Amino acid sequence: MTGRIFTGDEVTKDTTVECDVCVVGSGSGGAWVAHELVKAGKSVVMLEEGGYHTRREFDMTEARAFPNLYQELGNRTTDDLSVSMLQGRSVGGGTTVNWCSSFRTPERILKVWKDVHGVDTLSTEVLTPHWDAIEQRLHVAEWPLEAINANNRVLWDGLGKLGYERGLIRRNVNNCLNLGYCGMGCPVDAKQSMLVTVLPDAVEEGLTLYANASARTIEWAGRRVSAVRADVLDPVTNRPSGVALTVKPKLLVCSGGAINTPGLLLRSGLDADRRVGRRTWIHPVVVMMAQFEQDIRAFSGAPQSVYSHHFIERGPGKIGFFLEVPPVHPMLAATVSTGPGAKLQELLAELPKVQAMLAITVDGLLEDEEGATVALKDGAYSRYTLSYKFLDAHAEAFRAGMLEMAKIQFAAGAKRVLSLHMDPLVLDGAKDLAKLEAAEFGPLKHKIVTAHQMGGCPMGKDPHTSVVDPHLRFHDMDNLYVVDGSVLPTALGVNPQETIFGIARWAGGQLAQAV
Amino acid sequence: MKMYLPPPGGRDSRRGFLKKGLFGGLLLALGGGTWLALKKGAQVALPPDLKVLDERRWPVVLALVDRFIPARPGFPAAASLDTAKAVDAILTMVDESSRVEVRQLLMLFENALPNFLFGLRTTPFSLLPPDEQDQVLNEWMTSRVPLRRTGFLALRTLVMSAYYGNPATWAAVGYPGPPQGIHDPSAPAWKGDGQPRPMGNGVMLEVPAPEAVDGGAP
Repeated sequence: MTGRIFTGDEVTKDTTVECDVCVVGSGSGGAWVAHELVKAGKSVVMLEEGGYHTRREFDMTEARAFPNLYQELGNRTTDDLSVSMLQGRSVGGGTTVNWCSSFRTPERILKVWKDVHGVDTLSTEVLTPHWDAIEQRLHVAEWPLEAINANNRVLWDGLGKLGYERGLIRRNVNNCLNLGYCGMGCPVDAKQSMLVTVLPDAVEEGLTLYANASARTIEWAGRRVSAVRADVLDPVTNRPSGVALTVKPKLLVCSGGAINTPGLLLRSGLDADRRVGRRTWIHPVVVMMAQFEQDIRAFSGAPQSVYSHHFIERGPGKIGFFLEVPPVHPMLAATVSTGPGAKLQELLAELPKVQAMLAITVDGLLEDEEGATVALKDGAYSRYTLSYKFLDAHAEAFRAGMLEMAKIQFAAGAKRVLSLHMDPLVLDGAKDLAKLEAAEFGPLKHKIVTAHQMGGCPMGKDPHTSVVDPHLRFHDMDNLYVVDGSVLPTALGVNPQETIFGIARWAGGQLAQAV
Repeated sequence: MKMYLPPPGGRDSRRGFLKKGLFGGLLLALGGGTWLALKKGAQVALPPDLKVLDERRWPVVLALVDRFIPARPGFPAAASLDTAKAVDAILTMVDESSRVEVRQLLMLFENALPNFLFGLRTTPFSLLPPDEQDQVLNEWMTSRVPLRRTGFLALRTLVMSAYYGNPATWAAVGYPGPPQGIHDPSAPAWKGDGQPRPMGNGVMLEVPAPEAVDGGAP
């Protein structure tokens, strides 16, 4: 049995299909769960809102990548624009554009899920065989120290000089050419994204995948889902073509990721007593830029290969963070940065000498945190109302994160370090750290970004505090499941793709029994 | 009039405004029918093929582009790259709700009334001399009112993506652009249906191990 990938231009009249399972979303969750289901002989139809873009189109330009491969052209934000979000949107979801960092779920996080949220189904023991299989399929391996680029080298050296813990990141790549354009889609299929691995595997085994198909509402009555109604989108304009696609499955799996899965559920009147969309975690990130005498060329070479978990646990009441670096390409650098245009020109005039660093804070672990809330937005098709409730503890972590990054950058030889405050602070040496000490921290004081969206449909034992049960079934329904990053009860403290892979592969096996 | 302004840093009031859409609430409070609000902005010939921007907003965008991308040796002039039209093109791609908000924001920014309230100016933004326009942008950027900082970020992001997304700016910033000979625009697009699956480029190329990058050579 062989399946097929359809794009929006190929679905020209209203269509209804029946199947065992419909999976909405083709990213890190949907791909694995669908693959497990087709392997078990189930008929599976997948709906993906984004386009089917392959290396044939991955020309490594930002202007082409962002509109085609990211949610809201790469400009998804909270309502007040205090947080900018990079989130994938094409076949393969976030895995098509992420920077390949692969971490298993930390033990302490699984323990919090079990102890605090009653998730008694997942443990290191349960997930390990899945991670083993996943890592084998995706060629996950540590990136060699001799291959790291200068941007990561700054982090590595700075950490070493200060005696901080450091490590090399494992990446899901096969014959990687070390180019540096992962965020724009891998032009040589070296990145082992869902797009070139698990999805085609599943198609070969029978998966039917509709790209440019935006699931709009779930039809349900009582405790059962009966259908999913989708708009077919024009692959060029990305607007509804007027053609309707209806899928009637025995079982529905929502895998649209945090933000979009809650959005679909909310549009369908499935709000689990207003819990859907709440407790969304985003690993809020603060960024520091540094200028070096020598070329760094942070746009070249594997984007993320070094990390530090030195500050991941900072004591009771404090929010921990981990350190990594981002690639620095001009358009993203220009939009993520802050301050007047003339100052930006000054910085970008020497773009090859710019280094950038990320402090990625771990949200969702403090008792009084609420995280982000996703709600429907009037008049919007692909946008939501998004707000994040920042606490003093977040501001404290942003301050600590920026200070530590500046120290690391100076230790590694930076001549100047710039914060992303609304008017950037400029530090001309470690002597200027006091400037940073005295600054204000929090939303709209400085840029906050995120590339990791989690939660919004948290799993848990208690139906009054969670949206799906520990087997990922929507509490109030018999044949509705959520399998993506939105089920995470907290953030992770590591890049999320492998956690979602693991949970999805595990869930796929379970669901094959449930149909 | 002051009572319509959210108190500086006031969290709850900001939320109240935002509930009505990004700028809807503030517009309702500030936009209604006073003489300042109706003052005309710069009169500029409108390009014939604009999709989103109109005669009131186009001059504002032109002025914003000039201030966010000031003339600088080595940097191509924004006008020569049609950056303002690139802003219009970006606006055709965004969600309808974003278009509505950006339209509102541009008028709020241009509008003499809020500029009067915030900065005691009675001239629309598009008619101010460049140094005063910089001053207005600076006031929005560092304002105690979070909503104005939000507005600044929205306008900045829009203009910066329009300009720095253009490959003609690469030389100015020392960006070599994508390495040549890698992207294959004629690579097969496989859709299943029983067809044999093509091998990826990365699999075909025999590269034993990732090569070290020296961070220097192009």
